[in-house]
Amino acid sequence: MTESFIAIYDALPYLLKGSLVTIGLVIGAMLLGLCLGTVLAIGQVYGNTFTKRLVGIYVWFFRGVPLLVLLFLFYFGLFPYLNINLSAFTVAAMVLGLISASYQSQIFRGAILSLPVGQLKAARAIGMSETKSIAFIILPQAFRLSVPGWSNEYSIVLKDSAVAYALGVMEVMARAHFVASRTYEHLPLYFAAGVIFLILTYLGTKGLRILEEKVRIPGYSR
Amino acid sequence: MEELFFIKNDVMPVLIRGLIVSIQLIIPSALCGLLIGVFIGVLRVFGSVVTRRLADTYVMIFRGFPLIVQLFIWYFGLPHLGIYLSPYAASVVAFSLCSGAYHSEYIRGALLSIKRGQLMAAQALGFSKVKMVFSIVLPQAIRRALPGCGNEVIYLIKYSSLAYMVTCIELTGKGHTIASETFKFTEIFIIVGIIYLFLTTLASWLLRYCENRVRIPGFEHHAV
Amino acid sequence: MTLKEPVLRVENLTKAYGKKVVLQDASLTVNKRELKILIGPSGGGKSTLLQCINFLVTPDRGRVWLDGQEILISRKRELYEYRQKVGMIFQDFNLFDHLTALENVEIGLLKVRKMKKAESRDKAMHELDRVGLKDHVRKYPAQLSGGQKQRVSIARALAMDPKVMLLDEPTSALDPELISEVLAVIKNLRENGMTMIMSTHHIGFAREVADEIVFLEDGNILEVGSSDKIFTRAECERTREFCSKIVELYGN
Repeated sequence: MTESFIAIYDALPYLLKGSLVTIGLVIGAMLLGLCLGTVLAIGQVYGNTFTKRLVGIYVWFFRGVPLLVLLFLFYFGLFPYLNINLSAFTVAAMVLGLISASYQSQIFRGAILSLPVGQLKAARAIGMSETKSIAFIILPQAFRLSVPGWSNEYSIVLKDSAVAYALGVMEVMARAHFVASRTYEHLPLYFAAGVIFLILTYLGTKGLRILEEKVRIPGYSR
Repeated sequence: MEELFFIKNDVMPVLIRGLIVSIQLIIPSALCGLLIGVFIGVLRVFGSVVTRRLADTYVMIFRGFPLIVQLFIWYFGLPHLGIYLSPYAASVVAFSLCSGAYHSEYIRGALLSIKRGQLMAAQALGFSKVKMVFSIVLPQAIRRALPGCGNEVIYLIKYSSLAYMVTCIELTGKGHTIASETFKFTEIFIIVGIIYLFLTTLASWLLRYCENRVRIPGFEHHAV
Repeated sequence: MTLKEPVLRVENLTKAYGKKVVLQDASLTVNKRELKILIGPSGGGKSTLLQCINFLVTPDRGRVWLDGQEILISRKRELYEYRQKVGMIFQDFNLFDHLTALENVEIGLLKVRKMKKAESRDKAMHELDRVGLKDHVRKYPAQLSGGQKQRVSIARALAMDPKVMLLDEPTSALDPELISEVLAVIKNLRENGMTMIMSTHHIGFAREVADEIVFLEDGNILEVGSSDKIFTRAECERTREFCSKIVELYGN
């Protein structure tokens, strides 16, 4: 029993450094997902039939194929085939981001569609172009509405980042496995890894809730 | 032409074997997960304070730990306590318990969304608590939980690929094996991806069909 | 003068939520075929009293007798049987959203009284016809107007062949033009001899049909009397105040 605690104690600094890698993966993925997701959402709401179809296919594909398969496909297949040399970390963050974009696009799409039609009409009425209307009137409101969904997406991406272990990215999970193979203290170490993820989830969602409060529009109820 | 031949004769049979293992993972896990989800969900809404606390803790842990960590705990961690699970068993246990925690969220939400007034009306008519749950609460709760739980099953189809990480060789595992032998990673994994895509799309259609079958006019609008 | 035959009797019903006492020693007796109407300001305890009578709210103190037999809530089966004999109509209708109007009326017959399918269907159709909804039986609650929903809930309660009906502000959630259809059904019930206790804000209606009026405020029954007496020669100061304000607001 005490060996278990000693093992965890010794491994802790090593594991915690791994959490920096995890955070890096998550931030990279969430940002890619945010930018691409917004573009996809706008395309789906305001685009022509062709654009809508295209976005639909993208969303269908990246929501239908497992993360692990996509990681293998990109890291062992596509990039070597195209002679592109990227680190496992980069590929993992990219794939996580592409998948997240498909989910985030649906969050934003829902938020945009829930806004009253009058908002866009009013913007056009004062002479704003379509682009300006979307940028200055629609998106600011849609983003605020999306914070809860985004918070949920964060916790999903955080947990999915552990699968990057399969590509050899040395994040928390991989490090726990590395130490466990050496010390044979599998159970306590994986448990510790799980707790680290719990803490990261908690901190992240707490932070996002503070963000939600900060950007709340007074008196706005949905 | 040679490529297609290769695919048909050498690759597909192996992948199909993997697919069968995947299905053997998915179906029991989905069913167990749903049962666990209903059980925990009901406890979280109708249980005593202690039961609710325990159930909430279960959900916090099994939704908070990444699935891959949970898989490793069941397969690599249990031997610590003298329990040795096969890769298949460890995978099904991990999938069921993890999935169950997510299902319980949807069940709980559905149960809470049933307007209290209907329970009062049922009691006023003389329904016992048990009859009330079966005749009034569950028929409505199942309809409300269907989209959420259905999507959770679709997630399970995708996450079953992680069983490969604990050496349970299902579709993804077989794909990796052949790809490592033939170095045709791109082609093989595109095919594997398409097979999963087929499964998830089929499941989505089935879910939408079920949602439409049990649709009640105006029911969604009443959701609190 | 009709012979008084007590159907329902309650004594000293008391209920408090923490420090707030919402019902204090409420006692009353309802005789067969009588229509007793509870009036008073909102929050006065009318709803609580009605819900204590069928134990949807468990009173802290007090006793209830139906047809001379005391109801003890410790005996679950007796409680469920008792509730079948006491029908309740809610302000918010509380129809079962997942069932059609017909199924709403049927379900008590099928599941609680354990009647056969054909019998239940016939009885349910009969009750729905009685409240004038023969043509709407296959509609879901979301497809019905407020007045129709309340009439379905009346049919649902009637199907259980209750001895007493408790009506908790049955028209308060209705749009004005729909109120009359429900009041008509209630009048009809009365003419057919149903024993009822009803709480309402419709003073005009109360005056017209009540056998006895009970005035409640802050959980206490302040005064009881015939509609004539209450509205013209009320003994209690508060009763007179309340009635005059109401007459002012709603006319006659």
